[in-house]
Amino acid sequence: MLQRVMRLYADAVLDTDRDRALQVVTDAVEAHVSPEEVVFEIVLPSLESMMTAVSEGQGVSLAQHYMAAQIGAEVVEEMIPRFAARPATVGRVIIGTAPGDFHGLGKRIVTGCLKAMMVDVVDLGLNIPAERFVDEAVARHAQVIAVSTMMLHTALGEGGSLGVRRLLRERGLEGRIRIAVGGAPYRFDPNLYKAVEADAWAENGILAGKVITDLIHEVTP
Amino acid sequence: MMTGMERLKAAINGTPADRIPVFCNLLDQGAGELGMSLEEYYASGECVAEAQLRMCARFGYDNVWSLFYVGKEAELMGCGRMIYAADGPPNVGEMVVRTYDDIDKLTVPDDITAHPAFAEEMKCLRILRSEVGGKQPICAYVTASMTMPAMLMGMEKWMQLLMMGPPEVRDRLLAKCADLCRKRLAAYHELGVDIVVYSNPFGSTDFIPLKFFHELSVPWMERDLASAASAGIVYYCGSARFGAIIDTILDKLALPAFYLSPHDDIAACKTVIAGRALTCGIINDIMLRTWTRDEIRAEVKRIIDAGMPGGHFLFGTLVMPCSIPEESICTMLDAAYEFGRIGTP
Repeated sequence: MLQRVMRLYADAVLDTDRDRALQVVTDAVEAHVSPEEVVFEIVLPSLESMMTAVSEGQGVSLAQHYMAAQIGAEVVEEMIPRFAARPATVGRVIIGTAPGDFHGLGKRIVTGCLKAMMVDVVDLGLNIPAERFVDEAVARHAQVIAVSTMMLHTALGEGGSLGVRRLLRERGLEGRIRIAVGGAPYRFDPNLYKAVEADAWAENGILAGKVITDLIHEVTP
Repeated sequence: MMTGMERLKAAINGTPADRIPVFCNLLDQGAGELGMSLEEYYASGECVAEAQLRMCARFGYDNVWSLFYVGKEAELMGCGRMIYAADGPPNVGEMVVRTYDDIDKLTVPDDITAHPAFAEEMKCLRILRSEVGGKQPICAYVTASMTMPAMLMGMEKWMQLLMMGPPEVRDRLLAKCADLCRKRLAAYHELGVDIVVYSNPFGSTDFIPLKFFHELSVPWMERDLASAASAGIVYYCGSARFGAIIDTILDKLALPAFYLSPHDDIAACKTVIAGRALTCGIINDIMLRTWTRDEIRAEVKRIIDAGMPGGHFLFGTLVMPCSIPEESICTMLDAAYEFGRIGTP
């Protein structure tokens, strides 16, 4: 049954039909599917199936990424308080756009996707200096700093990922905190993440969920 | 030697030419050309025109631009603040639509050419026309109604409104943006612009699902272009792919040129277009920052080999980032002139 519900939910998300997706979840809960099953057997597998589709080059649009992340985050946030026991979070991520970059859509998709994957996300917003990324990561015990950029010059800017790397190095934090980057320029130059001294990049918001959770596991004992 | 305009017309009509047209989109580089900051540079239509003419003459490519920066369109709708960088395009510094109530307060200027935010571009256009009119294609840029809201309320909020509604609010905003688009197209037509790049990332299947494209993007594009002559309008999705919808655009809108994404399959798109329009094969110009001379030449050759057979083809760039070395720009252009050679007319 759960497999069938997961398929119905995934189809509604791919159709960008939020109301239908939420109705699938509501019906499942009324049919005594537990909140834990909703998250781990419906929402997460549907996100993973979208990740697989994207990895295999099947056409999935930005709007579908956006809706999958938003609906997934919404359902998970509603289900977690109903869990029998409070679940352990996967980890914590600080996210924002680089200085001079005012494009927040990619960041929002990543945030939604991570929340749906049970990762704590602290969204600092737009135009964030490197110092703030690092200070917040230290204060909140985050494992990953995610820097989003829409333009090449903001990706390459000293105040973005490069600045975060410099501060992590100066403060001896490189063993504890990883840097992930993403956004349009990285899709046009897959080696750009190395030029900005990040640890990893993701081609889109949905795949960022996996890339970032992998980084969390690298630094989590 | 043929002029850029002659090459473009030859490519459109499938008549003989010395080489394919080559469009190189240098915008922010103009400030460096004149030794100015971007903010000083974009404050003056005379400066933009002068730099466009100088760069076109120095590099030998075939087009000039009246476009300053994309965010300038938001100024026509009331945005009063741009944020300048030292080495990249200015960003819209304030969103004029912060709440849905702001949509009803948006005013589309009756006469675009009389709006203060258009004054410097008008000056630029007049200089370009007087200096190279009829010889080099003069390009302007208009954002489609489906994409314009991203500049008025931000991509994030626009995606939310677009995908989750309320639909009546979305349509009120789109109606104003379509009105702006139509008026801008009319203004450029009146001012004698040769090419209008009609930019619509939300008309790409990289941005929205195909079903959504048919149900929403197409009708709004039809409204945008209802009163415009299609000659000179180039379909462009801001580097996003749109190979899957070319046939629909040709069928519904009969646009005469397609400025592909670097990630589109040029040969496949040309097959779909089948001589009905000009195909523009576009280089991934972000890679020009790091590619070697040999890599640049190989990529230019690949693009031209894929697109030139059968004619009706143009080689072009996206909006070239400032960090591309000038030597690489020259290498790319020399390769395009060499591999794009057709023969003496």
